Amino acid sequence: MSHRRVISVTYSNFFRVFNLCMTDFERTFDHLNDTLQDISLGSVRRWKEQHPGSKAVAFFPVYAPVEIVHAAGMLPVLMSGAGDRLDIQHADSRFGSFICSIIKTTMEMAMTGHLEPLDAFLFSSICDSARNLCWVLKRNFPQMYVDFLHLPHSTSDSSVDFLAEEYRRFIVELEKLGGVLVREDALHKSIALYNEQRRLVRLLYELRARSPHLLRAWESYVLVRCGNFLPVEEHIDILRHALESVSSREAKKRDSIRVVIEGSFCEQPPLELIRMLENAGCDVVEDDLTLAQRWFTRNVTINGDPVRALAESYVHHSVYSSVRHDTGHPRSEGLAEKIRRTQAEAVIFLIAKFCEPAYFDYVLFKKKVEEMGLPHLLLEFEEKLFTFDRIRTEVETFVESLVFD
Amino acid sequence: MRIAAGVDVGSTQTKAVLMQDNGERKILARALTDTGANVLKAAESAFHKCCESAGIHPQEVGYVVGTGYGRYKITFGNAQMTEISCHARGAQFLCPGTRTVIDMGGQDSKAISVGPQGEVLDFVMNDKCAAGTGRFLANAAEVMGIGLDEIGPLSLKATQPVKIATVCTVFVESDILSYLSQGKRPENIMGGVHLAIAKRTLSLARRVNIEPEITMTGGVARNCGMVHALEEVLGRKLQISPDAHYMGAVGAAIFALEKMDDTFENTVWREHAAGSRN
Amino acid sequence: MAQVSEYRGSIHQQQKEMMLDWYQKLDEAAGGADQPTVSMMISGNCVELLEGFGAAPMYPEVNALQLAIRHQSLDPILAAEDLGYAADNCAYVKADIGCMIKGITPTGGRLPKPTLVLCNFVGCNTYVKWFEHVAEFTGAPLYVLDVPFLRGQEPSQADVEYVVRQLKEVVQLLERLTGRKFDFDRFRQAVAYSSEVEDLWSKIKHLSKHSPSPFDAYFDAITLMGPLYVYRASQRGADFFRSAYEELRAKRDANEGIYDREKFRVVVEGPPPYPYFRAFRDMFAKWNACAVASTYSTVGGLWEFGFRHDPDKPFESVAMHMLAQNVTNRNYLQRYEQIRRYVNEWNADGVIIHFVKSCRLFSAGQGDMRDYFTRQLGVPTLYIESDLEDPRYFAEAQTKNRIDAFFESLEHAKHTAKVGA
Repeated sequence: MSHRRVISVTYSNFFRVFNLCMTDFERTFDHLNDTLQDISLGSVRRWKEQHPGSKAVAFFPVYAPVEIVHAAGMLPVLMSGAGDRLDIQHADSRFGSFICSIIKTTMEMAMTGHLEPLDAFLFSSICDSARNLCWVLKRNFPQMYVDFLHLPHSTSDSSVDFLAEEYRRFIVELEKLGGVLVREDALHKSIALYNEQRRLVRLLYELRARSPHLLRAWESYVLVRCGNFLPVEEHIDILRHALESVSSREAKKRDSIRVVIEGSFCEQPPLELIRMLENAGCDVVEDDLTLAQRWFTRNVTINGDPVRALAESYVHHSVYSSVRHDTGHPRSEGLAEKIRRTQAEAVIFLIAKFCEPAYFDYVLFKKKVEEMGLPHLLLEFEEKLFTFDRIRTEVETFVESLVFD
Repeated sequence: MRIAAGVDVGSTQTKAVLMQDNGERKILARALTDTGANVLKAAESAFHKCCESAGIHPQEVGYVVGTGYGRYKITFGNAQMTEISCHARGAQFLCPGTRTVIDMGGQDSKAISVGPQGEVLDFVMNDKCAAGTGRFLANAAEVMGIGLDEIGPLSLKATQPVKIATVCTVFVESDILSYLSQGKRPENIMGGVHLAIAKRTLSLARRVNIEPEITMTGGVARNCGMVHALEEVLGRKLQISPDAHYMGAVGAAIFALEKMDDTFENTVWREHAAGSRN
Repeated sequence: MAQVSEYRGSIHQQQKEMMLDWYQKLDEAAGGADQPTVSMMISGNCVELLEGFGAAPMYPEVNALQLAIRHQSLDPILAAEDLGYAADNCAYVKADIGCMIKGITPTGGRLPKPTLVLCNFVGCNTYVKWFEHVAEFTGAPLYVLDVPFLRGQEPSQADVEYVVRQLKEVVQLLERLTGRKFDFDRFRQAVAYSSEVEDLWSKIKHLSKHSPSPFDAYFDAITLMGPLYVYRASQRGADFFRSAYEELRAKRDANEGIYDREKFRVVVEGPPPYPYFRAFRDMFAKWNACAVASTYSTVGGLWEFGFRHDPDKPFESVAMHMLAQNVTNRNYLQRYEQIRRYVNEWNADGVIIHFVKSCRLFSAGQGDMRDYFTRQLGVPTLYIESDLEDPRYFAEAQTKNRIDAFFESLEHAKHTAKVGA
C-alpha cells in the first residue's frame, strides 16, 4: 500500500504522482477516493495543524457561501454524510423512522466525535430534515458555532438585498468566531479563486460529455468531490493536472448509452453504484452528484461590492436544484436543457431513500422527460448499501431494453 | 392460599402462568400454546393447561390479569395490563436487581427502564421502520432454508459476519440472497444478521438509561446467538431467566396477586373487561 | 367500555355551518361568481391581506384533513402514487393532488381554479413543492412568498422589511389578477378583527390551565382551527370566538371538565392521525387524559404568549406573524421551549410526541426532543408513530399498547409518590 502513504503525506505531492505515468494517473483516483472515505476528516485535521488557530466551517454541500469562509482565512468543509463507513448506533435515537441516511450519519459522526475538527456547522433551508438537524446539533454540541442561513426561494430584487444582509450577518459571526476581519479585497480574491475552480469543473464536465470514454463518471466524481474538503488552491491544482492528463489518455470508445443522472444532489450514492451504472453500459454525461463546485452557472463579478455580487449570483445565476424554488425558471426546464446540451439518450433518477425534495421533483421531471420522448429509470439508494444485485438487475434490464430496441 | 394467574397473549404464542402467595410468591405452573386465529380460545387453553398441570381447579384461581396484544380479548380475565408493565414487574421478580429490561418479541422490541419496585420509569419501542425483530429473524431463517432454532447456534460460528445495512424485514431477504450468490458462508450471513439486530437494539436501549442489571426477556431470549451478539455490543452480561419467555405472564400474575393483596389502590385497575369471572 | 368523553356545545354546530358556508362560497366561485380565491398554506397564513380584495382563502390542508377524517384519503393518495409520487412523500400533498386529478372534493361541491397560488413558505420546504405542483396541475399563477426562517429568538429588521416588500408585491399582483383595487381600509379593519379574534383565542387557550380543563386543547382545538384560519380577519370570526369563549368560560366557572374525573393532563406535540381521529381520541379518553396544550394548534399562529396583529402597523404585523408567530417558522429549539412552558404553566403530567411520517418539519428530530424532556427535564414522554393522512401507517394495536403502557407507568408513579408521602 505504498501509494497510499505517498498521498497521505501532503496533497501538494499529488500532481507529482499524477505525472509519473498513466497507471499512476489511474491509481490516483483510488487515492482520492481513500481520502473521501476518511470519516475522521484527516485532511481537515492536517490543514488545521498547518494553520494553527484557524477554523474549519462545515456546510451541507448545497449553495454554501464558501468564498466568505475562505476570505475569513477559514477552511470550508462540505459534509456529505459518512457513507457506509459508520454504523448508526446513537443517531437513530434522535432521528427516527422515515428520515434519510445522511441526516443520521451526520448526527452519528457528531455523537461519536468525528466532527471534532469542525468549529462551525452551517445549514440552509434545503429540506425539512436538514433544517431540524441544525437545531438538534446546536443543542447537543454547544461548543460548536451552529447557524442557519436563510437562502431565498424567490428571485425578486428584494431577495438580493435580503441575501446580501444575510451574508453580512454571517460575516460578522465568522469574524467573532475567528477573531478576524473579512476584508473586501480578500473576498475579491476568494471569489476569483472559486470562479477558477468552477470554471475547471465545468471544463471537466464538458470533456466528459464530449468524450465519456476518456474520463469515467466515477473518476470525475472523485476529482470533483475531493474539492468538498481540500483547500481550493490544492483542488485547482488537482483539476488542472487531471484535465491535462486526461486528454492524452488512451482509451477506447465503447457501445453505451448516454445518460443523465438526476436526484443525488445531497446524499451521495456509494461509488460502487456509479461504477456499476457504467459497467452496465451507461455513459454518465451529466449528473447532479455533488453540485458543490457548480452552484453558479457563470463567474461571480469581481468588481464592486463582493457580498452583493455573491447574493446576485445566488439569486439569478445559480444552477437549478431540487432544494430551492426558482421563480419563472422551472427546474424541469433546467433538466431539459441539460439533456439537450449533452445529447443524452436516457435519464436515470438516482434518489436517496426518504429524500423528499427529490421525490417531489421526480414527478414533474418525469413528466418533462416523457414529453421529450426519453426513456427513464428510477433507482432508490441509501448511502449505506452493501449489496447491489437488485439495482444491477434493474439497470442492466433498462440498458438491454434500449440497446436491443 | 392465594392463587392468581397471568395470561400473555402474544402475536405468535400465548403464555400462561399460575402463581401462589403464602408469604412467599412462587410459580406453580406454566403453559404455552400457539395463538392462532382465535385469541380467546388460545388464552383459555393456556390457562386451563396451566391449572391442569398444577392440579388446581380454575375456580380456585382468585384473579386473572391479561397482557400482550390480545389482552382485551381475554373475557374471563379480571383486568389487563400492558406487557411493558408486566415485563418490568416479572423481571424484577425473577432477576432481582434488574434496572433495564430488553424485551425482544415477534412484533416489537422494547427497552424498559425499571425502578426498584419493578415500576416502569421509562420505555421505548422500536421505530416503525425496524419493526418485528422476531419476524426479521424468522424471515432470515426461511430465506436460508434453516430452522428458527438453528440460526442462533449457527451464528455463533461466524468468523467474518457480513454487513447487513437494512433493518427492513422485506429487504433483508434480497440482502441475504445476494450474499448467498456471492458464496458467503451461512454462518457469516447469520452472524451478520444477528449483529445488525444487536446494534439496532443497543441503539434502542440507549434511549432509556442503560443501567445494570440488564435483563433480557421475550421469545428471542431463547436464541443463544442473539444473546451473545447483544452481550458483545453491550459489553456486559445479560441476566436471562429460564422463564424469560414467560416474563409477561409472570408479571401479570404478580399484578394479579397484588390485586388480591390489595396493595394497589383501585385506581390502578381498569376493570372494563366484559364478563368478569366472579 | 372505555369512557368516551367529548364536549359538544353550540360552538361545534356553529363552526360546522361556517365551514359549509365557506365551501359554498368556493363552489359559487367555481361556478363563475365574481369571487377571487387564493390558495394558501395554513401555517402563518396572511388571510388579512386577502380581505383587502374580498378574496376567499383556499386551504389544501383543510381539504386533505377533511378527506382523511371521513376515511376517504386512501383513493386519492393511490391516484397520486400512480402519477409517480413516492410512498415516502407527504400524504397531504398526495391526497390533494389525487383529488385534483380525480375531481374529488371533501364536501362534494366544486372547488375553483385559484386566482393565485400564494405559497406562504414558512419553514416547510414541502409547501414550496406542493404549491409548485398545484400551480402545475391547475395552471394558476404562482407566487412564492419567501419568509426567512427564524434563526434567532426574534426576526431582524431586514427579515421584516423583506417580507413587507413581498407582501406589497403580492398586493400589486392581486390587483392585476383580480382587476380590483386593494382596499387598504378594509385590510386595516381585517387586521383589527384578527387582533380581536386572537385575543379571544388566547383566552380560550388559557382556560385549560384550570383542572378539570373545560375542553381538550388538542382534539377540540382542532374543531376551532377551521374558523380561526378562514374567518379570523372578519366580523363573523370575531362573533364566533366571542361566543366560543363565553361558552367555555361558563364551563370552566361551573367546574365542568371534559372528563368528570380528569386523571392526566398532557401536552401533545405533532399533528393528529386524521384517518383514525376518533379511535385515537378514545385511547386517551379511556384514561381520562386531557390535552391541556398542543403545538399543532399553533401551526396557524401562536397567540397564547401575547402576540397580536396591530391595525396601526398592518403590513409589519402581518409580516411578524408570518416570521415569528407560528410554530412552523420558529426554530426547533423554540418548539422545545414552547412545550416546556406548556408543561410548567399548564401543569401537565407528561408529553405525548406523535411522530407523523408525512411531515418531516414536525417529526425530524423528535427523538432528540424526547431525549430533552425525559433526560434533561425529567418529564415523562411518550413517543408514538403514525401518519396524519395515510391510513396505512396507523397500527392500532401497537399505538394503543404504547399509550396504555405510558399511562400505566404514570399511574404507578402517582401511586408510588402518594405511598412515599
